[in-house]
Amino acid sequence: MMESYILFPLLALLFLFIWYLTFTASRLDRLHHRVETSWAALDALLQQRAALALEVSHLPGVDPAVAMVLTQSAFLAGEAEIAERSEAEDGLAATVELLYETEDFHQKNPALSERITNVSKRIEVAMRLHREAVHTTGVQRSRPLVRLFRLAGRAPLPVVHPFEISGERTL
Amino acid sequence: MVTLNRKLNIGLVSPYGWDAPGGVQVHIRDLAHLLIREGHRVSVLAPVEDEDALRDEFVVPAGRPIPIPYNGAVARVLFGPVAASRVRQWISQNDFDLLHIHEPAIPSLGLLACSLSDGPMVGTFHVAAERIRIAFAIVPIVEPIIERLRARIAVSEVARSTLLTHVDTDAVVIPNGIDLASFADASPRLEWQLGKTIGFIGRFAEKRKGLSLLFEAVPAIVDRHPDLRILIAGPGESEEALEWIDPSLHSRITFLGMLSDEEKRQFFKSVDLYIAPNTGGESFGIILAEAMATGAAILASDLPAFRFVLDDGRWGRHFRTGDWMDLARKASELLDDPKTLEEMAAKSHQGAERFDWPVVGRQILDVYDFITPKSENGEYEKVRLVADSRPWNRFPLGGLNRFEKNDGRV
Repeated sequence: MMESYILFPLLALLFLFIWYLTFTASRLDRLHHRVETSWAALDALLQQRAALALEVSHLPGVDPAVAMVLTQSAFLAGEAEIAERSEAEDGLAATVELLYETEDFHQKNPALSERITNVSKRIEVAMRLHREAVHTTGVQRSRPLVRLFRLAGRAPLPVVHPFEISGERTL
Repeated sequence: MVTLNRKLNIGLVSPYGWDAPGGVQVHIRDLAHLLIREGHRVSVLAPVEDEDALRDEFVVPAGRPIPIPYNGAVARVLFGPVAASRVRQWISQNDFDLLHIHEPAIPSLGLLACSLSDGPMVGTFHVAAERIRIAFAIVPIVEPIIERLRARIAVSEVARSTLLTHVDTDAVVIPNGIDLASFADASPRLEWQLGKTIGFIGRFAEKRKGLSLLFEAVPAIVDRHPDLRILIAGPGESEEALEWIDPSLHSRITFLGMLSDEEKRQFFKSVDLYIAPNTGGESFGIILAEAMATGAAILASDLPAFRFVLDDGRWGRHFRTGDWMDLARKASELLDDPKTLEEMAAKSHQGAERFDWPVVGRQILDVYDFITPKSENGEYEKVRLVADSRPWNRFPLGGLNRFEKNDGRV
């Protein structure tokens, strides 16, 4: 009879602990999914920007040097592996900005320029959402319990790419 | 303004009683109308006091709200097992593409909906609680719940930094919207223009709205402007408020009671200077945006929320929060100078453009777009109940969470 006094609370505790582990695991799973979603949205926008940059480089009257830089970074941003891509996105963002500063681009191509401004604004929002998802996931994954029981499974640790940090501005 | 290239089935959740006045409810109603105009299907789940008086056909009542004093006002919230069951039913019966939850951190319908569902969800945080201890004492419980939101929207930089410091989570800032066009053609009322008039709108009985501060400043302003009149609008007991000020000044003060939207616009148009002496607890200040939209000269305290709306003094002037001497000095100077007042009034409308619903709505739709990308198998995710994905609920007889699908009713 004595044993049940010890056994029941112990079992209850064990169940509670197991429940907590599964709860945390599903929480992590959800977070990883959130990172994927936010990256998908950001990725789509970046592709749009690259496509727009290509369009700009084909325009008549664009400075050949600028056009070449645009083509190259647009190509890299659209194709490259993620490590190179970060650099390419940085380059693309800088070139687009350069385009606005150096030429009367806006007067000549109001519609296209409008679209680029639009995409750039949306990229900033998408970056913030992605950074936030990555940050939250990182905080949760660094908890000792999560690491000890490998609750994150084999999911790769999400990272914020360098271009997202340099691209940060106050919205 | 279309960014989404498909029509969504959207669920909006209001934390506060639909029939009680309040900025959050107004915001949700306007947003619902905008989304419907854009061709989306909208259903709003909200606590409702009197279901028979409900006029908005897109609102689904979730039960009667419970009044709870909070942040200097009374919040009408709804919580508990019955409400939870209503939320589950609402989500099961509607095949939502997206859930937009307002105030998900406040223990009400928003928090319930967020904790019970999974999928594309976005939350808007309206509150910037300076009395944070009450609001965020439940952070450990709330954190894993609001973490489900794919995106967080804060209505101002103040609301955003509240989130950053207390829940360590970042948000996109999208201000509250106003219908700019409806403010454009207001005309002034003669009886509100006699003499030099300054205006105040708000629930003046609340200390943080700052009417007593304005009253402290009035004698000093009257010294320089003997023809000064003070117009006060908003619900409350005027006798009580009059006790704060010297009886010799009573004749200059007019209480107008609650104003209709139309009267409010006339009010802004009529007064020489609109004063917002609030001392705290504001997260946005929609009233300032409305004053700007009408084209009023504005003097407001330099609360972070007001500095955000007035863009740090670009569309109005600021005085030091809680400092009646500064208020009196700035107000007298401005009233001395009708030309500046006119200029301020003429350009403040322009400052309200960024709060216009088409602008704000586009930003919100952008966020909707971001959190509902097409998955790799080419399908879009739907909002579902967390309980539905639990193994023991997958059995045919499936537990408590079964509800008939009902496409006919909103």
